[in-house]
Amino acid sequence: MTLESIETVEARDSRGAAQPSSALHAWDSFIAAVGGGVASLSRSVGAGGGTSAPGLVIERLDPGFVRRRAQSLARTTTVVSGTNGKTTTAAMLATILDARGTRVLTNASGANLFRGVAAALASAAGDEQAAVFEVDEAALPRVVRASEPAVLVLTNVFRDQLDRFAEPEIVARLLRESAEALPPGSIIVANADDPLLWHAVEDLHPIGFGIQAATPTRTPTTTRREADPEICPRCGAALRYLQRTFAHLGVIRCPACGWASARPAFRVTVEDDGRLDRLRLSIDGVSRELMLGGQHNAYNAAAAIAVASSLGIAPSASIDALGSFVPRFGRSERLSFDERSFWVFLAKNPVSCVTATRQVASDPRIRAAVVLINDRAADGRDVSWIWDAGLEELLGLDIPVFAGGERAHDIALRFRYAGGTVDAVDPDLDALLTRVGAVTRPGDNVAVLATYTAMLAFRRAVLGSRSAGVSDTVRDRTEPVLR
Amino acid sequence: MTDLVIAHLYPGLLRTYGDHDNVAVLSRRAEWRGFSVRVEGVGPGEAIPADANVIVLGGGTDGVQRVVGRDVVSRGGAVREAIARGAVVVGICGGYQLLGRSYILPDGREIPGLGILDVETRASDGRIVGRVRGDARLWGRSFDLVGFENHAGRTTLGSDAAPLASVTRGHGNNGHDRIEGAVQGSVVGTYLHGPVLAINPALTDAVLTRALAPVTGGEELAPLDDVLEHRAHEGLARRVRDDRRPIRRRRIVVATVAAALLLGAIGSVEVFEKHERNETAGRFGSGLVREVGQAEHSTEGQSASGVIV
Repeated sequence: MTLESIETVEARDSRGAAQPSSALHAWDSFIAAVGGGVASLSRSVGAGGGTSAPGLVIERLDPGFVRRRAQSLARTTTVVSGTNGKTTTAAMLATILDARGTRVLTNASGANLFRGVAAALASAAGDEQAAVFEVDEAALPRVVRASEPAVLVLTNVFRDQLDRFAEPEIVARLLRESAEALPPGSIIVANADDPLLWHAVEDLHPIGFGIQAATPTRTPTTTRREADPEICPRCGAALRYLQRTFAHLGVIRCPACGWASARPAFRVTVEDDGRLDRLRLSIDGVSRELMLGGQHNAYNAAAAIAVASSLGIAPSASIDALGSFVPRFGRSERLSFDERSFWVFLAKNPVSCVTATRQVASDPRIRAAVVLINDRAADGRDVSWIWDAGLEELLGLDIPVFAGGERAHDIALRFRYAGGTVDAVDPDLDALLTRVGAVTRPGDNVAVLATYTAMLAFRRAVLGSRSAGVSDTVRDRTEPVLR
Repeated sequence: MTDLVIAHLYPGLLRTYGDHDNVAVLSRRAEWRGFSVRVEGVGPGEAIPADANVIVLGGGTDGVQRVVGRDVVSRGGAVREAIARGAVVVGICGGYQLLGRSYILPDGREIPGLGILDVETRASDGRIVGRVRGDARLWGRSFDLVGFENHAGRTTLGSDAAPLASVTRGHGNNGHDRIEGAVQGSVVGTYLHGPVLAINPALTDAVLTRALAPVTGGEELAPLDDVLEHRAHEGLARRVRDDRRPIRRRRIVVATVAAALLLGAIGSVEVFEKHERNETAGRFGSGLVREVGQAEHSTEGQSASGVIV
């Protein structure tokens, strides 16, 4: 599928060959208008950003809407799913397409259930040439069946919201089920460095992506707390890592049954990841500095580059476009408040928290760290994971550490058993920010590690009420996975 | 000689929910009181240290538990010897199931467990997930127990095992008999996973008091400054109470959406009619909806630029 063929599809559509009947078209416009009405209403009554409620209404009113609307974009739709990196990978891909002058339809970050995709389709201007949707793992099988995407991107499978997903193996099965539901000719792009994920889909002939260090360090052999137990996805024996990037990602070989990682078709080289807001990557001889840090973002870039390549965009052009990618929405996002720079990291599971903590630890500019943990449905009601999240690394930095969110005391307790103390613990965000203000100076950089709804609350607190994004109320009602 | 020797079984495998930290909590609370502590990880095929006075098993996913299950049944003799020496055994979540007599698969096949707790676990289609609170009784102590459970197995107690707690909120062993966990001699199992020992210091100190009895002569342990432990415990207890609330909130959301749908539909009928007359006029043909569309733009302006690419 190339951009040229996208244009061919468009041309055919404009001749009317693939157009729905006019009555159906009018009905879809009606549905879209209802969605628009609900969106503005939900905003005006303060229920949220107007991204999920309209989709919810459309979903109830006419589930076929998504299928019909999406099929007018069908051959150009990319769906991104997996535990971590959905938002950033989708945004990076949109940036690459945008640099080519392609008009892209996306769903709002966090509005990633079926209804979020429905809302995005309802709000389409009609002249989009491609769509990129990030989709929740549980909603994925249904979204794939309805939207029949040209490309399905699978980022990784980590321990996440276990109260909802029970275990990573179940998520891997959901992703597999979705990949099987793709229409013929669709492309699967998957993380070749994730043994659990790759094993789940390898027989469907995915295009692999991965990363490597410019100068490979010694092979790490110790198991890591945030990693899922490192057993062979095929036979259950203990795995051997030839190379490891983080958590259970890397190049592996099973000493018992011989199952091994595949060589990815697209491998990005990480030349430098020593700072919070800088990452030097190279592929095909082109090297660019990105405005966000961390190896996990190197994976996101590799995924976006692999997808773009399947759409006919050369990796060198993609990485060039990523040089201007601006991180947002609580993913390495920088917000100014009270004359201080707050770096916001979504820390929603052990792996995302560990990677964020390491980033913070690697950057000496950070003068204080704030950890905000909520336990609502969208965060995961079970906060056990904070004990495996590497937070103790913050204690060695000799900077003040603050614990907040609805489960602030659990964080403080976690630090107590790691042999340290926090400088303040307060579930009240305003009070906590006052304490942060008291020990930092204007111009200081402060790191904020927050769960999903805690991140929204923090953005609301520093940006003002409406701009924080998806409504907690609607998002709280996540689709259940557990039977 | 070390006062407290903790054998942590399968630390690399049974560790889904912060299970390492239950070991860390036992260690710290002994160290803070001046006892010497040694922790030994015991992987598949490795021996349990002969001087262990606490044996801890955490939880894992189904696949991992199958791997561990093969190894654990071979340890019956060694674990019984340790118990005879006075060792305390703590099984959490999957570890609790492994301490029992057997795990019965959906097809009726029985996977044997260690058999040191008179409990039986039956596989089930539905998972029990959520916050739990109960009144616990353990070795002559009574205390409030809180935690989070997430298990597909349904466990029932035989006549030799006593309940760890009677459930006041949540499900517990099987969702029917209002029992959570099991106790038999010095063996204790619970479904409350994660840092259950951190947020329930009374449970932890009961384990330590019993395990350290040869050193202390059975005396009470010195109290610790448990302000944070109690805050976290109360925090979770409060969440358990609040668990009823989402039902009411759901009603409010449904009512709001219904009202919005009605108003939205009324507004759009006009569009629909105009649209029917003149399809080329564009999707938002009516003045009313165009206004709505513009309002949408102005209120979402900030977030749209940040969120939508």
